[in-house]
Amino acid sequence: MTPDERRRLARVLSRLADASVSEVLRLPQSGDGHCRRIGVTGPPGAGKSTLISRLARRRLTGEGDLAILVIDPTSPISGGAILGDRIRMEELENEERIYIRSLASRESRDGLADNLPDILAALQSFGFSEVLIETVGAGQVAHAIRALVDTLLLVLHPGAGDQIQAMKSGILELADIYVIAKADQPGAKELVAELRSVRKERSVAGAGWRPPIVLSSHGEDESMQKLAAEIDRHQAWTTVSERWEDARVLWRAQHVESLLSRRVGEVLRALPRDALKQPIDELYRAVLRELADPGAM
Amino acid sequence: MSGEQRAPLKGKRILVAKPGLDGHDIGAKVVALALRDAGAEVVYTGLRKSPQHIARVAVDEDVDAVGLSILSGSHRELVAETMASLEALGGGDIRVFVGGTIPPEDQGELLAMGVRRIFTSEMTLARVIAELAQALS
Repeated sequence: MTPDERRRLARVLSRLADASVSEVLRLPQSGDGHCRRIGVTGPPGAGKSTLISRLARRRLTGEGDLAILVIDPTSPISGGAILGDRIRMEELENEERIYIRSLASRESRDGLADNLPDILAALQSFGFSEVLIETVGAGQVAHAIRALVDTLLLVLHPGAGDQIQAMKSGILELADIYVIAKADQPGAKELVAELRSVRKERSVAGAGWRPPIVLSSHGEDESMQKLAAEIDRHQAWTTVSERWEDARVLWRAQHVESLLSRRVGEVLRALPRDALKQPIDELYRAVLRELADPGAM
Repeated sequence: MSGEQRAPLKGKRILVAKPGLDGHDIGAKVVALALRDAGAEVVYTGLRKSPQHIARVAVDEDVDAVGLSILSGSHRELVAETMASLEALGGGDIRVFVGGTIPPEDQGELLAMGVRRIFTSEMTLARVIAELAQALS
């Protein structure tokens, strides 16, 4: 990528992140090519950023470039954000084939960022062959990432043993690969045992994919090699045609859902300041007016 | 109070960077938090970054401004290298600010190199935010 192209990419991503729902709906859509999308989620402090920085070089084997999106929470009070995850990715700083971009979650309540599906499509059109996406540190709620990626990694650390219960009906059922980071710490063995039992319950449900458990102490080469191989194995599994169609439908549904839920916020903010104090029929009329006229149709 | 007063930097992306060899980033972190509280999205680089790396991050993150925190005394070289690197990567339009211990006699030279404002440690955070918001508006 030339410096000019890279600068243009950065600006395109900013415009997409800032776009309103109706702006997104009117964007020209590019072709349906494919770029591998790998999600990395897990509770705060699990070691997601460090893992990505170690894994990224391993994933950089083929021809194409690699993009990394790191999402951090927006402060609900100021609307600002500290985007600090790339500090832990400094070993990638001289790698010209890797593009790292930090995103604030903004209006998004699902551990992702506004217009993420369109941002991913843009990366694809710029020729990236693979994107790694780090979600906001989360466990229970962040299911949206499942629909937007081909392969979902759940990163846990031995100290998070008590969080497993809370995640059982949730991200644990959705992840494709479990990664135990900081596996040299006490409790790793117990965590493996718990994950195995979770996995057994899953296979009864007939998902058809048995999530491997990969242990990594400090992202050492051997474990990253294994993880990269498991990702390839899952990619091969998921691109089987009928599963691929299912995944595409899920992706589309999530894309539309995220736009619609943002629209809710836009409508709320666009209501006249005193609308919520008016009688209910007045409020309904104000909502109807705003729904009919998103101000940009 | 209007939203603008509460969040004067809303919609801005700012890189807070520590070039050079000094190992003190408490000031940079305090400023980063204050910028966030003023509504900005703040990318922080961590300590001891090369000007080339800072420029790379600034362009890739499409920031509106770079704040260089420099306490080491080598501000002239670090600012010149950062500006040159930004230019080489197509980010010559990204505005550069400097904070830290900059002797008054050096300030004119930095401003002549294209630095927009210099913030010294005697300034209140409120003033830094206000001046930054004005410079970026």
